[in-house]
Amino acid sequence: MKEHARYFWAYLPALGAFGCAVGTLSADRNLSGITLVLWGVWSLVVTFFVVRTILQERSKDEFTTRQLLQAQKMATIGEMASGIAHEVNNPLAVIGREVEWIQELLKESPPPDPQAQREIQESLHVITAQVTRCADITHRLLDFARMNKPVLQWVDLNNLIEEMVRLVERVTKTKTVTFERHYHDNLAPVWTDPPLLRQVVLNLLNNAVQAIDREGTVTVSTRDDAKGWVDIAIADTGCGIAPHHLPHLFDPFFSTKAPGKGTGLGLAVCQKIVTALGGLILVDSKEGCGSQFTVRLPRRPIETRKTFE
Amino acid sequence: MASPTARILLVDDEERFRTTMGKLLRKRGFAVEEAGSAHEALVRVQQGDVDVIVLDVKMPGMDGIQALAKIKTLDPLPEVIILTGHANVDAAVEIMRLGGYEYLLKPCPIDDLVVKIEGALEKKKAREKVLRA
Ligand SMILES: Nc1ncnc2c1ncn2[C@@H]1O[C@H](COP(=O)(O)OP(=O)(O)OP(=O)(O)O)[C@@H](O)[C@H]1O
Ligand SMILES: [Mg+2]
Repeated sequence: MKEHARYFWAYLPALGAFGCAVGTLSADRNLSGITLVLWGVWSLVVTFFVVRTILQERSKDEFTTRQLLQAQKMATIGEMASGIAHEVNNPLAVIGREVEWIQELLKESPPPDPQAQREIQESLHVITAQVTRCADITHRLLDFARMNKPVLQWVDLNNLIEEMVRLVERVTKTKTVTFERHYHDNLAPVWTDPPLLRQVVLNLLNNAVQAIDREGTVTVSTRDDAKGWVDIAIADTGCGIAPHHLPHLFDPFFSTKAPGKGTGLGLAVCQKIVTALGGLILVDSKEGCGSQFTVRLPRRPIETRKTFE
Repeated sequence: MASPTARILLVDDEERFRTTMGKLLRKRGFAVEEAGSAHEALVRVQQGDVDVIVLDVKMPGMDGIQALAKIKTLDPLPEVIILTGHANVDAAVEIMRLGGYEYLLKPCPIDDLVVKIEGALEKKKAREKVLRA
C-alpha cells in the first residue's frame, strides 16, 4: 500500500469523479450522480491494477539489474584476481625452491649448535607452510576466475551428494557433527555438470561444518517438485548469519573467519557455478540457531544460458 | 634413484628459480642443463641427447605449450613435463594431445617433480625398448 501512495496522482481522476458525484448527489438527486459514482469505482479499480502492474515490473527490473551488477562485479574481480594470482605464483615458486636449497645445505653441513639447527629447521618449515598457504589461495583464485564451461550429463544427485557427505564426514574429526540424510527416493536424474556440482556441495558442506562450534547437526536433503526443479538443501545448527552480513555473503573475499581459515571464495564460486547451471541459491538463516542453503537446479537447463565469463 | 646419466633440460625464464632447481636436481644425481627461453631450449633439443624436459608454461615470447609442439616435431623422444600456475582442464587436454608427459602445479615441492621425472624416464625407456625391437 505504501508503494501505491507514491502513485497517488494516478488516483486523482478517480477521486475527482467521486468528488463530482458527491457534489451532484447532494445538490439534486440526479441520475448522473450514480453514473459518476460507478465511473469513480471503475477508475479506482483500473488504476489500482495498473499501478500494481507497474510496481511489479519495476521490482523485476531491480532484481535483474542487481543480478547484472553482481555478475559484472564478479567478472571484474575475477579478471583482476587471476592476473594477480599469476604474478604472485612465480615469486612463490622461487621462495619454495630457495627454502629447499637451504634445507639441502643444512643436511650437508649442519650448524654446530643443535638448538640453532632446530630453530632454523623450524623457521624453514614455517616458510614452506606459508608458501603452501599462499599457493592454495592463488590456485583457488585462478579456479574462480577461469571456471570451465559446464559439461552436462545425466546425474544421480543423491549419489553425488552422498559421496561428498562421506568425504566431509571422514575429515571432520575435531568436533562432533551428526550428518542426517533426507534424500528424496527415486529422485529423477538431473542434466548437469558433476565436477562443478560436487564443488558446490563440498563448499556448502564445509561452511556448514565450520559454522558448528563443537557439536551440532548437518542435515542434507533433496527434493524435487513437479515443475522441473530440484532442490538440494544443506542445513546446519551452527552459528547462523548476522542479518547485516546477508547482502555480502556471495561477494568474493567476504569472510568472517579467522585469517588463514577462510578466503571468502567458497560461496562466490558456488554462486557462479549454480548460475552457469541455470539455477539459484537460497539462504535462510537465524543468528545463533543455524542456517540453510538451498541450491535450486533446473532438471534440464536451457541450453543457451550464458555463463559469467 | 634415477640412473646417473639421465639428462634433464630445465626451461624457465625466471633465472633464480631455474638455477636453484638445477642445483637441487643435480644433488639428486641428474645431469642438468638450463635454458632461459623456449628458443634456447629448441636449439638445445636439436643437438639431441636430452631425456626429460621440464618446461614452464608462462614465458615471454614462445610459451610452454607452443614450445612443446615445436619440441615434439624436432625430436619426439624426450619426455616433456610442463609446470603451470593453474590446473586447467583445457590446457591439460592440450598438453596431452601434443604428447606432453605430465603437468605439475606451480609452486610444487622438488620431490614431486623428482617423482614425475622418474616416471617420465621410465616411460621413455619403455618406448625406446619398443622402438629397438
Ligand atoms: N553455513 C553457514 N553458517 C554460518 N555462516 C556462514 C555459513 N556459510 C557461509 N557463512 C558466512 O559466509 C561467509 C562467506 O562464506 P564463503 O564460503 O564464501 O567463505 P569462507 O567459508 O569464509 O572461506 P572459504 O570458503 O573461501 O574457505 C563466511 O565467512 C561466513 O561468515
Ligand atoms: Mg566456505
